[in-house]
Amino acid sequence: MDRPALTRPDDGRLLAGVCAGLAVHLGVPVAGVRIVFAALLLASGAGGILYLWFWATVPRAGADEGIIPMRRVLTRPAADRGAAGTPGPAPSPSAAGKTSVAEPSAARTSAAKSTAQTASAPTTPAQKTHAPTAAASSVPAPSEPAPADAREPAARRPIAEVVLGASLLIAGLALVLTQLGVDLRLEVILPGLAVLVGVGLAWWQIADRDRPERNQVPRVLGALALVAVGVLMFFVTAKQPSAWTVIAAAVAVLIGVALAIAPWVLRVNRELIAERSGRAREAERAEIAAHLHDSVLQTLALIQQRSEPGSEVARLARGQERELREWLFRGADGGGPEERTEIAASLRAHAAALEAEHAVRFELVVVGSGGVAPDPIVAAAKEAMLNAARHAGGEATVYIETGQDRVSVDVTDRGPGLDPAELPEGRMGVRESILGRMERAGGTARIVPGPGGTGTSVRLTMPMPVPQDETNERAER
Amino acid sequence: METQDQAIRVVIVDDHQIFRTGLRAELGPELEVIGEAADVDAAVEIIERERPEVVLLDVHLPGGAGGGGAEVLRRTAGVPGVRCLALSVSDAADDVVSVIRAGARGYLTKTASGAEVTAAVVRVRGGDAVFSPRLAGFVLDAFGAGTGETALADDELDRLSAREQEVMRMIARGYAYKEVAAELFLSVKTVETHVSNVLRKLQLSNRHELTAWALSRRLL
Repeated sequence: MDRPALTRPDDGRLLAGVCAGLAVHLGVPVAGVRIVFAALLLASGAGGILYLWFWATVPRAGADEGIIPMRRVLTRPAADRGAAGTPGPAPSPSAAGKTSVAEPSAARTSAAKSTAQTASAPTTPAQKTHAPTAAASSVPAPSEPAPADAREPAARRPIAEVVLGASLLIAGLALVLTQLGVDLRLEVILPGLAVLVGVGLAWWQIADRDRPERNQVPRVLGALALVAVGVLMFFVTAKQPSAWTVIAAAVAVLIGVALAIAPWVLRVNRELIAERSGRAREAERAEIAAHLHDSVLQTLALIQQRSEPGSEVARLARGQERELREWLFRGADGGGPEERTEIAASLRAHAAALEAEHAVRFELVVVGSGGVAPDPIVAAAKEAMLNAARHAGGEATVYIETGQDRVSVDVTDRGPGLDPAELPEGRMGVRESILGRMERAGGTARIVPGPGGTGTSVRLTMPMPVPQDETNERAER
Repeated sequence: METQDQAIRVVIVDDHQIFRTGLRAELGPELEVIGEAADVDAAVEIIERERPEVVLLDVHLPGGAGGGGAEVLRRTAGVPGVRCLALSVSDAADDVVSVIRAGARGYLTKTASGAEVTAAVVRVRGGDAVFSPRLAGFVLDAFGAGTGETALADDELDRLSAREQEVMRMIARGYAYKEVAAELFLSVKTVETHVSNVLRKLQLSNRHELTAWALSRRLL
């Protein structure tokens, strides 16, 4: 059981990869397999039938890509159809039994058996002529494994494969029986096969949802044509036309068309349902978001408003409000909350961290959507925010303005105030991390009294850096 | 006695009972709450009947044609002497723009304290505009202050004058009008005039199709 699964590989193949796949599967040289098939082909084309049968039933390696144009399916078989000859009984029971073989998992075990069976098929010209019909119909053959294969995420019922495989089996058996001299009514079987193949092709569309939509129309038209031709042939070949046969023909054509169209209808319906439920989900989501926005955010705002500024309760409510806001905005467009500038994002995160630790509430006001702010001003602004959180608390405002040629950040609090002329020696934070850093980076930092003469306003300005690559060059020098 | 005579008649429009009650308890004695409404239709009805001086209006409201606070503003535009102050938990730029352009005289977030709301109501009653730091930042952003665009003439609707930008910047930094005035060596009256002018520009300007522009941006 540890053999590699039977598939048709894309590399190292001559035609459809049947021989290569068999060789890998059975562990024998590919040349040997090809010779056997060639030899069987000489046996009045039995190898060809077997090859086509494998082609139809063995999935391609790397399954579900590529569409084989319907044109190949449609152009070849047309000429080969009328070649049917000898009548005989329909081999229905055995065909039904063999249908399961169409499943790739089963194909492995029954490969040898069917080889023997088909190899014993006698020589006949009819075989060669109508073989391409079935062969061509199965060109775009099962590119997906049967439901037995659980690894395939979207398992589907292999209606098309079963129908095609069954058609081929019936064709083969019919030929065998014809050769054995059994009275086989080929003029019934062949149209029947055409109908089966047509329906199979049409049903195939239903499984093709994930593929690109090209070649849809010709494929479906082809399927419909096959159905129609098959149904018509039934009655054209019937010897004695009467009112009943005409009515039956009409009904049969209708049924055939209905069968062929059913996949379309089902598919459209399925898409409609999917779309509708998707919309319902989206609406429900929006409703929940609106509800949260209106009720929970309100309550959190109220808690913050009524609680002691800087109290634990206010802090918790603030944190929850921020999280909820982020979630709501994420929901609106599917992505994370979009921050217009990098500096705003980084300072907002910093503010969130500080609010969690200190009794402070930062309000960020962002203006402009300029380029990337240089690191020193971000670091200095963070330091200023830390100062505001530690020494002032309460409400603090961070005003970020990014323009074309300069970026400025103001951190304003209403704390006890800070006189830069009388900085205690220990306050390295202000002296070094803010003033010194900005000076070294070519920016300016001013510390002025806050609004109304209380508190502190730290005003940082820096020229916008020149485009990225030039900066890098300069840094490397 | 004095407060009785001069109390500003206020209507609170908000669909949350808890918020209405909370706000009512917090408001200063200068205000007298003469009614409450919980949806668009009730709000329109009470505003037309009571003719309050100031309406504290939530942006998101049920009822009516689904237009929320902006719909209340549009439907009561003909009622004389009524001024609206928008209150919202929302920071979305399109919410802000929709109520301001529908005629609100100011915009506060619901985290504002009772004292702040009271002060804002007094200001709105006096005909002035109320700008929170965020609204000021939004205006600066919307009118391209970051890119150095300045109006050359005072009556230009699509740009802010240099002075207006200065005032807006100070408000965005968290300064109160009085503090702005002190900082910029202006009288409070001048600051108020500038702010009112900015509000008018925000309401009338077609700059970059302001409403559509606001939809694409959020005031986080």
